[in-house]
Amino acid sequence: MRKSSTLDQIKHFSLENVFSSRIKKFQKLMRYKIREILLVSSIYDNYLFEEDGRLYELIREEYQNLNLSQAPEIIHVTTGMEALELLREKNEFDMIMITLHIEDMHPTVFARQVKEIDNSLPIMLLAYDNRERKELMLNYNTDVFSRIFIWGGDYHLLIGMVKCVEDRLNVETDTESIGVQVIILVEDNVRFYSSYLPIIYTEVFKQAQRLIREGVNTTHRYLRMRARPKILLCTNYEEAWECFEKYKEYVLGIIADNNFKKDGHRDPEAGLKLAAAVKAELKDIPILIQTSDQTIAEKAKEVDASFLLKNSPRLLHDLRKFMMDNFGFGDFILKSPDGKEVARASNLKDLAKELKNISDESLLYHAEGNHFSKWLKARTEFWLAHQLRPRKVSDFASTKELRKELISAINSYVSDRSRGVISDFDKDSFDIFNSFARIGGGSLGGKARGLGFIGSLIANYNINNLFEGVTISVPSAVVIGTEVFDSFISENNLEIFALNATDDLLITKRFIEAPYFPQSIIEKLTGFLDIVKVPLAVRSSSLLEDSQFQPFAGVYNTYMLPNSNEDKKVRLDELIKSIRCVFASTFHKKAKDYMKATSYRLEEEKMAVIVQRLVGNERSGKFYPNFSGVAKSYNFYPVPPQKSDDGIALVALGLGKTVVEGGNTVRFCPRFPKHLLQFFSTKETIKNAQQDFYALDLSGKPLHSGDDVSDSMVKKYDLGSAEKDGTLFQVGSTYSPENDAVYDGISREGMRVVTFAPILKHEVFPLAEILNLLLELGTWGMGSQVEIEFAVNLDVPKDNPKEFAMLQMRPLVISGEIEELAVDDYKEEELICHSDKVLGNGATENIYDIVFVDIKKYDRGKSKEAAREINKLNSKLVEQKNPYILIGVGRWGSLDPWLGIPVTWDQISGAAAIVESGFADFNVTPSQGSHFFQNITSFKIGYFTVNSFIKVGFIDWDWLLKQNPVEELKFTKHIHFDKPLSIKINGHKNKGVITKPGN
Amino acid sequence: MNDYFETLMANVKAQNPSEPEFHQAVEEVLGSLSIVLERHPEYRSMKILERMVEPERVITFRVPWMDDQGEIHINRGFRIEMNSAIGPYKGGLRFHPSVTLGILKFLAFEQVFKNALTTLPMGGGKGGSDFDPKGKSDNEIMRFSQSFMTELFRHIGPNTDVPAGDIGVGAREIGFLYGQYKRLKNESTGVLTGKGINWGGSLIRPEATGFGVVYFTQEMLKTRDTDFEGKTVAVSGFGNVAWGAVQKVNELGGTVVTLSGPDGFVYDPDGVKDEKVDYLLKLRASNKDAVEDYSKEFKVEFFPGKRPWGVKVDVALPCATQNEIYENDAKELVKNKCYCVCEGANMPTTIEGYKVFTEAGILYAPGKASNAGGVATSGLEMSQNSMRLPWPREEVDNRLHEIMIRIHNTCLTTAEKFGTPGNYVNGANIAGFLKVADAMLDQGLV
Repeated sequence: MRKSSTLDQIKHFSLENVFSSRIKKFQKLMRYKIREILLVSSIYDNYLFEEDGRLYELIREEYQNLNLSQAPEIIHVTTGMEALELLREKNEFDMIMITLHIEDMHPTVFARQVKEIDNSLPIMLLAYDNRERKELMLNYNTDVFSRIFIWGGDYHLLIGMVKCVEDRLNVETDTESIGVQVIILVEDNVRFYSSYLPIIYTEVFKQAQRLIREGVNTTHRYLRMRARPKILLCTNYEEAWECFEKYKEYVLGIIADNNFKKDGHRDPEAGLKLAAAVKAELKDIPILIQTSDQTIAEKAKEVDASFLLKNSPRLLHDLRKFMMDNFGFGDFILKSPDGKEVARASNLKDLAKELKNISDESLLYHAEGNHFSKWLKARTEFWLAHQLRPRKVSDFASTKELRKELISAINSYVSDRSRGVISDFDKDSFDIFNSFARIGGGSLGGKARGLGFIGSLIANYNINNLFEGVTISVPSAVVIGTEVFDSFISENNLEIFALNATDDLLITKRFIEAPYFPQSIIEKLTGFLDIVKVPLAVRSSSLLEDSQFQPFAGVYNTYMLPNSNEDKKVRLDELIKSIRCVFASTFHKKAKDYMKATSYRLEEEKMAVIVQRLVGNERSGKFYPNFSGVAKSYNFYPVPPQKSDDGIALVALGLGKTVVEGGNTVRFCPRFPKHLLQFFSTKETIKNAQQDFYALDLSGKPLHSGDDVSDSMVKKYDLGSAEKDGTLFQVGSTYSPENDAVYDGISREGMRVVTFAPILKHEVFPLAEILNLLLELGTWGMGSQVEIEFAVNLDVPKDNPKEFAMLQMRPLVISGEIEELAVDDYKEEELICHSDKVLGNGATENIYDIVFVDIKKYDRGKSKEAAREINKLNSKLVEQKNPYILIGVGRWGSLDPWLGIPVTWDQISGAAAIVESGFADFNVTPSQGSHFFQNITSFKIGYFTVNSFIKVGFIDWDWLLKQNPVEELKFTKHIHFDKPLSIKINGHKNKGVITKPGN
Repeated sequence: MNDYFETLMANVKAQNPSEPEFHQAVEEVLGSLSIVLERHPEYRSMKILERMVEPERVITFRVPWMDDQGEIHINRGFRIEMNSAIGPYKGGLRFHPSVTLGILKFLAFEQVFKNALTTLPMGGGKGGSDFDPKGKSDNEIMRFSQSFMTELFRHIGPNTDVPAGDIGVGAREIGFLYGQYKRLKNESTGVLTGKGINWGGSLIRPEATGFGVVYFTQEMLKTRDTDFEGKTVAVSGFGNVAWGAVQKVNELGGTVVTLSGPDGFVYDPDGVKDEKVDYLLKLRASNKDAVEDYSKEFKVEFFPGKRPWGVKVDVALPCATQNEIYENDAKELVKNKCYCVCEGANMPTTIEGYKVFTEAGILYAPGKASNAGGVATSGLEMSQNSMRLPWPREEVDNRLHEIMIRIHNTCLTTAEKFGTPGNYVNGANIAGFLKVADAMLDQGLV
């Protein structure tokens, strides 16, 4: 039974969780956008608009400056008739702007007709001067217009108008959705607000833009701008109060005139009254009274409002100051309850720091007020604002608790935020534990993309802390984009040489000695090395690597650096040399050969480089993780109770080089971690267990001399040193020769072997569960079978979680594995053999030879002789380099001569596929487990199990026996064909066929 | 005589259909005994052979167990108690999907004579189940073993039937079986051999076979008035048997100059001594099935892909595997004046090789006799259990020595008695049989 409920829970949880997929929330903001404006004005008016240049371009430029997305299109017509026609035809407009002078009809008439077509379309009237406007308002009903503005010659007004409409349309949803804030602007003087509105909008945009800074890439910036505070323009007391009441929770502040209509008539103290009323409800809301009357200043202070003189030459400056001080745009000013400043914080990290030191009274003052929220929202950090919303100390056990929680909320948010996002590298905001940043432009390459994807999966689905005491993450890295590679190659004129050279050492040498390396990158790397002082892995991330169809695994080089030299210049030098070497490996023979087998051209290949923190700890001069491994979500050689899609994992002590090189590892299925095939007998245990491990020698010097292209710093060490380091006890077992037994753990006397028993059997670390989850998550996320690489560090400081690091995730695609071969479409006479119990996968063509045991002559008692004959034929065919199909009776490689033919692996090494047929009188189960079987899996040899006597599969013995053999021995025959036969195995269904030649 | 055998075989085949392994075993053993039967007509009239081919008791039983997923499995358990004329049944348990009545019967049959040859009071038996331990978790193995023993316990006992390990039954399984037996029977006795040292096992078990071979060889050399002092010895293999052999040869003054693996052999003219012997342990515990590292470590020559029999030595002890001395190898050895070959492995010499040795008239001992050290130590474990006194290494070693001397002498005298003096093969075959047959005669028609 599949237990995928954890994954379901995660998916379920994250979709429900309002704050986990934060960017999605931002995307939902500002649903209503003004995209198309219909401008109805006379040609002359238009001329006025475009005095400074083409209106549309101006507006678009301004949008870009303010980091706003998509400027609206403006369609201009000169007559009302034209406009109405357009509207009737296709009403795609979001807003209509109309001036007082249009050729054919009065604006109010036009407006009424528009309303008949579409009642919801906002119509803005643009007048040129006040007199005109007043006259209009006196004589006509201007209710039909949403707003009236006075054109002052500044195109910014149009932007203000657009934003004003958008804000009105979106305010309800956006406040509810994530708590976007609202500024209420109360002003009835049309001329004033026409010039003021754009100013205040620009200010808000600029401030917002400035604050959306840390750890965020360009896409996010655009999205976060949508969460800037909204401005609601009100022209009388009732309107203002209505807005206030409705959006009370979200009101950032009120900027109000003093003299406007209240209860239908003008009230010269309306502003003050409004201020008083608002303060009575929420005393913390900042209010700015703007008036031309200086005497109001005192009164404003009385109601605890700020004051601004409208005709002050420093209007903008004062407005800005007010916003900085009160809207959270500036530094967070930590105050004591009496209002005195005690500290300042300009970013989240600083705030967390200061919170540690301030007095309890100050803490409570800010916590109980709305201060944190506001400041955070200005930075569009809504989630954190929600965490730090006004709290009472009574909600907590003590002020100390409250302080602790506030600080930890900020800190974990800061570290959370940088996860899952590939931002541009910035020394100040890079988290050495797990950030992922880029240096240089261009693509990130396949591997880096995979890592970024994993990071985002982990962040978005909160996988990081799913297991208690363990943190799952991608180790921090910077990726050097492919443009750096491009410029390196072109500036050093290496392209022709590299494409044509065949000597790997020469290529590496030339790359190391090439004079040019982009200075800007060197600077960034210097900054990186300033903050990262731990061992590093420098890895390739090519454009074509890990693409959906080409695994490219192990084709390019990886280097590991101790990064420990006291001299920073040396460290920088080593790093850059390694990067050059990775560049060089793009053109090495291995890569060129590999490329030939694909449909890509080497010229297309570009190399990005990942510089990643190496996972592990320093132990007596060497650096290595407790263990590393690889896990695949699909296993072509499952042994019951495993099924193919339970996956398979390989783990080894130390660096993952052991696994990658095919050394001895522990092989287990994450769903059945206690079923270890390799360790069923002590002999097999010893044979299969890892006896040494790889670690980075911290004292070594990276050669890069061109003598060797491989990584010379990674060395082999024996288990004794692991035992001394204390890393063996979590993975080791002990073999006692006296007792001929293997005991879990290393507490008894004897030889040490690595079996991972403490982890897999005694659950010292939830490895199997973590792998199960990640493989499921990976296949779900990538939409295909996946392979992941990981490393684990168990030796962490006390109270810190153990570290499970994801190093790579790629789709599991090897040519042949992705296709499901059609093996059902053959007729029996076309086949030599077919079976439903086949292990392996893929198709092999071009086989011309068969070696088989003559079932008629075979005598179970003579199996040893038969084995000798097979050996002979095998040697012959191996020398001729002819792969063959081996068909026999009974179990191949059986230790028991009665059960089958006791060959050893080397005696049948030339076989491309092996067929095991049952005896007439004896049912033989397939020989799984043991080195023999492991070789089959490693060499991807197809293994057919047939017993035609009990109708399990089929072998055409008659046909085989009729063929004329090339060589005939006592029990065995070798037949050769001129036409090839083929082997086809469908690993998903465990079905396979071997076709007769010519089919 | 031929008729007699033919009838006998026909009956065996008829009584035990579909058990070709058993038929073959019977045929081989009895086929070598025509001369014995001629001299002992009482065996024929008392139908000793007919009795021998019929097991005293065959127990088959159901073994149900539950796997980790909660699925129930049913396997079949067997215990064949073949012959207890000279002592309680003794033989291993095999857990392997290939286990059938026929296979176990043939193994039990051979065990009778092998055990008899050790001169210890051990009868013959074999058992097991068609359970496949590969890929099972520790808990599943434990549950199966406990279920198995829950039936078997009522049929075995330290004075009745003493099973041991075999394929698929290692120290882990013996532990689980023993634990369950103790729980059910409420007694702590030597009912199984192969136990852990802590709880009743015997010392020097891993080296015992190797020691035994060397002791046997020493006796063989004595027949030519010489011993190991100053002799050069070729040893093949590098596992437990070879390790034991090397230690003992060194002790007795000889020099082992070769070791071999599937990858080839190393030639160390200075001899495998002192720290090199310890290195063997390391080599054994490494997962490489190769000796090449030895040559690198000690700067001696390594011959890839070759067997060590071309080296000039006095004594050859094949301790690696079956079929490692072919006709050519035998000829080489003879040419180089090797005059004693003693098998540590099971059937390392091919038939053609054997012919070469016999024609050259050199000393040759079959594994059946010379590698009985391992089985003998099982017996010694039983002895220690009965005494409730674990012996120190030296004591076990001494006892082993005595046993090997007895085996040697028995083989030699028997061979002489039956007209093929110096033919250890005949001696071994016949001696074991005689012991059992005579005991059966003495004990009446049971």
